[in-house]
Amino acid sequence: MSRIIAQARKELTQLVRDRRALVLALAVPVAQLFIMTSGISLSVNDLPIVVQDLDRSAASERLVDAFRSSITFHVVSWPDARQPEEALMAGAARAALVIPEHLGRDLARGRATPVQLLVDGSDANTAQLVSGYAQQVTRAYDSAEHGGGAGQVLAAVRLWFNPGRSSTRFYGPGIFVLVLSIFPALLASLAMSRETGQKTILQVYVSNISAHEFLLGKIAAFVVVAIAEGLLLAVVLRADFGVSLAGEPTAFLAGTALYLFCVVTFGTLIGAAIPEQAAAMQVVALFGYLLVFLLGGLIFPIENIPIPLRWVSNAVWGRYYIEIVRDAFLRGGGWAAVWPQIAAIAGIGGVFYTLAWSRLRRMQLAV
Amino acid sequence: MAAITATALEKSFGTIAAVRRIDLSIEPGEIFGLIGPDGAGKTSTFQMLAGVMEPTSGEAAIFGRAPRDARAVTGYLTQAFSLYPDLTVDENISYTAALRRVPPATTADRASRYLSRFGLASFTSRLAGQLSGGMKQKLALACALVAGPRVLLLDEPTTGVDPVSRREFWSVLAELVADGLTIVVATPDLAEAERCHRIALMHLGEIKETGTPSEIRAGLGARRLELRTPNLSEAEARLSPVSSDGALLDVQRVGDRIDVLVRDGREGRRLVESTMHAASLPITELHEEEPLLENAFVATLRRLGHEAAEPSWPFQHARPTPAGDVALAAHALTKRFESFTAVRDVTMSVRYGEVYGLIGANGAGKTTLIKMLCGLVAPSEGRVELAGSHEGIRSSAVRQRIGYMSQRFSLYDELTVAENLDFFAGVYGVPAEERPPKRRWVLEFAGLEGRSDQLTGSLPGGWKQRVAFGAAIVHEPSVLFLDEPTSGVDPLARRSFWHLINRLADAGTAILVTTHYLEEAEQCHRLGFLVAGDLVVEDTPTGMRRRQPGARSLEDVFIAVVTARDHQAAGTEALA
Repeated sequence: MSRIIAQARKELTQLVRDRRALVLALAVPVAQLFIMTSGISLSVNDLPIVVQDLDRSAASERLVDAFRSSITFHVVSWPDARQPEEALMAGAARAALVIPEHLGRDLARGRATPVQLLVDGSDANTAQLVSGYAQQVTRAYDSAEHGGGAGQVLAAVRLWFNPGRSSTRFYGPGIFVLVLSIFPALLASLAMSRETGQKTILQVYVSNISAHEFLLGKIAAFVVVAIAEGLLLAVVLRADFGVSLAGEPTAFLAGTALYLFCVVTFGTLIGAAIPEQAAAMQVVALFGYLLVFLLGGLIFPIENIPIPLRWVSNAVWGRYYIEIVRDAFLRGGGWAAVWPQIAAIAGIGGVFYTLAWSRLRRMQLAV
Repeated sequence: MAAITATALEKSFGTIAAVRRIDLSIEPGEIFGLIGPDGAGKTSTFQMLAGVMEPTSGEAAIFGRAPRDARAVTGYLTQAFSLYPDLTVDENISYTAALRRVPPATTADRASRYLSRFGLASFTSRLAGQLSGGMKQKLALACALVAGPRVLLLDEPTTGVDPVSRREFWSVLAELVADGLTIVVATPDLAEAERCHRIALMHLGEIKETGTPSEIRAGLGARRLELRTPNLSEAEARLSPVSSDGALLDVQRVGDRIDVLVRDGREGRRLVESTMHAASLPITELHEEEPLLENAFVATLRRLGHEAAEPSWPFQHARPTPAGDVALAAHALTKRFESFTAVRDVTMSVRYGEVYGLIGANGAGKTTLIKMLCGLVAPSEGRVELAGSHEGIRSSAVRQRIGYMSQRFSLYDELTVAENLDFFAGVYGVPAEERPPKRRWVLEFAGLEGRSDQLTGSLPGGWKQRVAFGAAIVHEPSVLFLDEPTSGVDPLARRSFWHLINRLADAGTAILVTTHYLEEAEQCHRLGFLVAGDLVVEDTPTGMRRRQPGARSLEDVFIAVVTARDHQAAGTEALA
């Protein structure tokens, strides 16, 4: 035990001495949280749309007003003489609304009248949203014109957990997971590969400290750092994005502790396997982003991942923690909801630890 | 019981045998030297003795126990010192102590004792990374000692450490051994080997000879004659044929003298005198000395059939400038970096045909001076003259006449030897028809005939160094800068290096050698001692020795100069 403490104390002292590592440990994660939560947003605001009103009746004016007053769209003027497609080509607008002649007259006669909406489909996701929003706007207009006529079925949708559909509430916890998946692992891998690179590992080998003591000391130090990082992020999430824990926190805390152990052990394992710091960092960052970001359900629902890759995603430690964190911040289901995820994380962490230990087990130079 | 034993100890990495069946038996209280060039297998041997690497076969024991189980009584100082640069002196010691479960009170007690003994007591809160080479070495030793070991393994502890610190270090070792410690020290430096009780000469993974330094010298059965004469190259040329018929064992130019090895002192003298007389060459001085360890090492290697090639250099171009003209000069050169003066008012010159040695500890200003001399750094004050130019010493015409080789000279590791040589020949604009004979020459010089397709990165250090040297002179420079050209190469290769350097000088090349190895200083025609940015004294190696009565080696002279300088500096400080 005394050696584990000595080892952990040494790691922490080194970290405090190393300005760059300290920035990497604390400042970069918070910056990343800010950039990513404000940068990634799947809701659409202020999309430029071109309107060509060929009718110029009171009714058509009201339709244009409906678009104008929605927060989603921002109506850009476009000369009638020019084709609306040109606006899309020129990048002046993401969509174009063409109102045919006689719209007002046809509506007054109670005849169904198509209006044309051209959408820039080069960004598929946005296009999907644009057409959805545009339909909502026209539907709203429709019902306003007809005072909610009989026979019309309105789908009454109510969103749970994230009633404002605020993407911050959805992404904030996700970024929290991403940041905690990468930075503690990076620090741990740097510390470990530096030990081999600078040959200080020999000093460790010639003492008879065991592989367990050495590993646990290192891991403990970086779990402490990671917890500090996590607290900092949680404070920022709460203060700036209003995201806070919903419900009973013990499951979340236990899951977090295990997850940080798992991540730090992963970093240590990579650092032990790759003695070049730059290469070790690359591998950790690559795994962190690729696996957690792409296969962890952070951006794309796991159900959308093709089958063979979905199997891979079962081994992605971040995937389980994302579920724990979303539960903790949004649903508040507690132990009953997330115990399988906690167990999965413990299992994966155990595998990493065993691999790292078997690499260092002999506490000797390889070959 | 022997403190350390090794029986048929062997270590291979893949197909490469690093250590080949060595046997050792080291007694308690002994300072045992493992002497050999880079790549001799010293570090692998140490790692096996320290219990951090399994031998491929054979056995080692520390006080009768397997090295792995004896780690508690073994202190191991690695070549890189294995210190944590971002921890303080105190933190380094307490971490190492905690790893070895030393009780804190004992740690504090031992740390204060060793740190004050090593003069580190006032630096306990300084970061290890900010210590000088000599201080790092002492801290590493303190870390190894804090666990109270019975055996100390020191892997090249004095590499990169200045001569003064090196001498202090050896006196500490002598004290530790007096306290009953057993010490094994590895070094490529034959002058240091003299300080060991017993030594083993190691070459290519094998121990060639074991004994006390005087036994090994005596085993040579020879005497050494030092010959001083104004015309060294002519004298060498006359004496060498005599040596090859066996009457003289060996003839070697060493700086401003010639060393002749003979079976019998008197007979040898007579033979040298008559040969010189027959060639009407004057003898300034001829006297008999003990042979050097280097002589013994070279003789042993030769007896075992090793020989370094000394092919003749295919010169293509006559020297445009006569020997004796100034090739390179510094006039009152000063370089300041903010408040720190790296080089202060240095005036010196190197002539064509001369090998000038700039000797100084690390941090004495050698590198800054060299950088100014070849135009890489502008001086704060003073003037540089290079190959006849005062202005535009970075012009390509001037650079074409300069060659540079450092110990860490960058050959491209991922190119083959031939590709490297072609690249440098191309960079220096060597005409295509001259390249094949030059390439053949470099390969022969490096002992790499038929292996030109080998990747440079896979070559052991000594070979690489010879290829690097070849690459530095393919364009036949008239001014050659050499930074520690022969550190770490084996004695045979060292001889062929210096033989070639002397030949280049004879052909009119001006050669500036910078080094802190006094073995290399010995080989120069003229020396300048650089201490803390000042060129303190200039003289021939023989003249240097005479300046310091009672000095047995150049190292003694250098240390005396540095110490005098320190006293002077301390005096000035006290006055101010």
